[in-house]
Amino acid sequence: MLEVARLEAGYGSARVLHDVSLTVAPGEMVFVVGRNGAGKTTLLRTIAGLLPSAAGEIRFEGRSVAGLAPEKRARLGFRYVNQEKRVFSPLSVRSNIELAAHGAGEPFDSAWRRAVALYPKLDEFRELPAGRLSGGQREILLIARALAGQPRLLLIDEPTEGLAAIVIEDIFRILERMRQSVAAIIVEQNLAIVRRLADRIYVMKEGRVVHEIADPRKIAGAEPLECFL
Amino acid sequence: MTFMPERAAFSVQPAARGALLREIALLAAGLLLLALVIRVHWMADFAVFFILVLSFDLLYGYMGHLSFGHMLYFGAGAYGAALWLVYGNASAWAALAVGLAAAAGMAALLGGVVLRTRGASFALINMAFNEIGHFLVQSPLAAYTLGEDGLSCTADPLFGAISLYEDRWAFAFCGAVLLAVYALLRLLTRSPFGLLVRSIRENESRVRFLGYDTFRFKWIAFVIASTIAALAGGLFTLVQGFVSPRVISPFGNVDVIFAVLIGGAGSLAGALIGAAAFLAIKNFLPVIIPELSRLLDVKLPQWELWLGVVLLLIVFSLRGGIVGTVQARLRNRKPAGEAQ
Amino acid sequence: MIQTVVYGLTIGAILYFFSVGLALTFGTMHIINFAHGMVYTLGVYLFITFLQGVGQSFLLALAASLLAMLPVAWVIERFVIRRLYGESLDYAIIATYGVLLIGTDAIKMIWGTTPYPVNDPVGIAVPLAGMDLPVYRIAVVLSAFALYGALRAFFRRSLVGRVVTAALEDADGVRCLGIDVDRHFSIVFVLGSALAVLGGVLYAPISTADPYMGFHILLLAFAVVIVGGMGNLNGTFFAALALGMVMAVTGRFWSQAANAMVFVVMALVILLRPKEAH
Repeated sequence: MLEVARLEAGYGSARVLHDVSLTVAPGEMVFVVGRNGAGKTTLLRTIAGLLPSAAGEIRFEGRSVAGLAPEKRARLGFRYVNQEKRVFSPLSVRSNIELAAHGAGEPFDSAWRRAVALYPKLDEFRELPAGRLSGGQREILLIARALAGQPRLLLIDEPTEGLAAIVIEDIFRILERMRQSVAAIIVEQNLAIVRRLADRIYVMKEGRVVHEIADPRKIAGAEPLECFL
Repeated sequence: MTFMPERAAFSVQPAARGALLREIALLAAGLLLLALVIRVHWMADFAVFFILVLSFDLLYGYMGHLSFGHMLYFGAGAYGAALWLVYGNASAWAALAVGLAAAAGMAALLGGVVLRTRGASFALINMAFNEIGHFLVQSPLAAYTLGEDGLSCTADPLFGAISLYEDRWAFAFCGAVLLAVYALLRLLTRSPFGLLVRSIRENESRVRFLGYDTFRFKWIAFVIASTIAALAGGLFTLVQGFVSPRVISPFGNVDVIFAVLIGGAGSLAGALIGAAAFLAIKNFLPVIIPELSRLLDVKLPQWELWLGVVLLLIVFSLRGGIVGTVQARLRNRKPAGEAQ
Repeated sequence: MIQTVVYGLTIGAILYFFSVGLALTFGTMHIINFAHGMVYTLGVYLFITFLQGVGQSFLLALAASLLAMLPVAWVIERFVIRRLYGESLDYAIIATYGVLLIGTDAIKMIWGTTPYPVNDPVGIAVPLAGMDLPVYRIAVVLSAFALYGALRAFFRRSLVGRVVTAALEDADGVRCLGIDVDRHFSIVFVLGSALAVLGGVLYAPISTADPYMGFHILLLAFAVVIVGGMGNLNGTFFAALALGMVMAVTGRFWSQAANAMVFVVMALVILLRPKEAH
């Protein structure tokens, strides 16, 4: 479904990604792991269209998306969830979903119902400025936003970073429910989650994909996965 | 941190010294050539403007800090020298020194303040100080500066014999100062200090992470750039014998910014070329355009409009200015031709 | 003293009308738009020309000049501003300054350089507290308050307003939801330009029109935007009124210092304010 080939990208003259290739099949949940600075965020942002690629290809369902602006990619079904858990803070939780629904062409009510089904407490926070939510609540709001309309490819950057264990469980359950229904590339540092959810794992180091683990079940525990990093 | 780039600022190897002498010779030759083309009468003014533009290139081209208030220091140098000549003695050297000291002091003080901002705030807060300086000269200090009427001042001849009111001596003196300033800046920008300043332009946080107190270096560069601008201002006073609030007006900043951009920011040669191009536009276009208008029997817009067009062109197509465009062309032709 | 207060609020009101566009353009696109001064000046000159044509009807001339300026604003946005998205600040400043120069020169070519006076359209003064306050000025101040309310409602209640509010904070986030942020920014730009024209027209009867009026108000507007906080519309309102008062009060005791005092205040605010990212 998504094919990235020999991608090179970076910031201005600083090249971060070198010759990166990966694929995602429909409904597949692919994880990208690696140390800080390995280029994982840059990879997601380039796929989302927020960064231009210097070389290489990104093909979605056979068609190249090179040069397509982020909003056009979003209309194709790409959904990017940022790493900093940045929501539209001055807007209410309700308005956050409203904008997502508007952009995706979905009626607000159905988008809101889905969000509440994901996390019932959201209903309480309906009129609260989104900036007042905790980190975990923001992540859930971001995921709810991403699920508006017909998402075809989720690009989620470090969903559990900085969250308490209980909240991580919540996020885990949400991601688990999404498995097989939508393709996703997820960057994660929490290897326990990676092991339990991944269909495939890519390991990145210094801007390159250094390893692809096609069958994560073959890995016994989180420790052997560490070896690859 | 033990690395002290400012102490290493003036160390230079023999090979580099040769290159420097060659560049200075080239510059001197260029000035003489220019003096032949246009009248010697203009040359001192041109040289003064060149010095001013070089000083701005240090601040904007090399350090990447766009200021809309650089004229404050030019004006401080000009008024400092003028006030000394009127209320102190008639020594040209003393007048220059006073102008330099006043500006350096101001830059040291204000620099500590403005350098805490960046980007738009930096540009505008400098403009604010420039406006305040302009206002001070026009109004509260009018008792000393004679406000809008301007201040006439005369200096004694240098060394008792060289009168700066004679065109050729004015040119020779200002030209010599220009060569000295160029040499100084060339050494400075090629030195470790210069490299650091340029790195600050590229990525200041990275330089800070390396352990350098970037504030101190920015401050030093700011004071140097401002003092050189004041030098230009002082020369202006000596050569003109008259100052008015125009020398400290914020609108003058536009000229300097244009010149640096037209030539190519971040290159001393570019600054000079841009300054020359700008002066050509400013001085000859107002003459040529009415002539063309008459010839073609059509009403052409004033030169300011052309300046605006040039600015747009620079931003949208000729990004590196004259120097940048030439460099880019040469780079593209490299396989067939020689390297520059 | 009341005269001074009213005058200060009037100036502040005009500054507010003008500064909204500047603050919005900076908040959304991070561009300091010098061309804003040109839109203001051109709008005023067009207004004066139309006024002479439609038999002195203030409102008709105002409507006509607003309509005439909309395409101008659109052209500037389409061919200059849009190409400056993502560019470094310096180039945006320089390019828009180029547009300002071109516009000012065009105005000089068409209308000449002598200033144009405009008459007070209402021409009545209201006796209050023993003094005659021009009704017109009070109307201008009230309009500014009305604008403030209208803008707040717009940004809070309308969808376009909410998109822009979100984009002011996280434009990329909005784009990734499939919303064409750039088109919204264009709308905002034209809106800001229209407000500048409105402000200029409102100001015309109190002053005279000259080709460089755009430059002067631009400098003051920068002070307003900086004091109020770049891209912060609430701040712009209060800063505009406050600086208008600074000008009026200073002008009463030391007339030449009115402008300079605004910059002193701006410098103080920059220095005493907690450090910002820009």
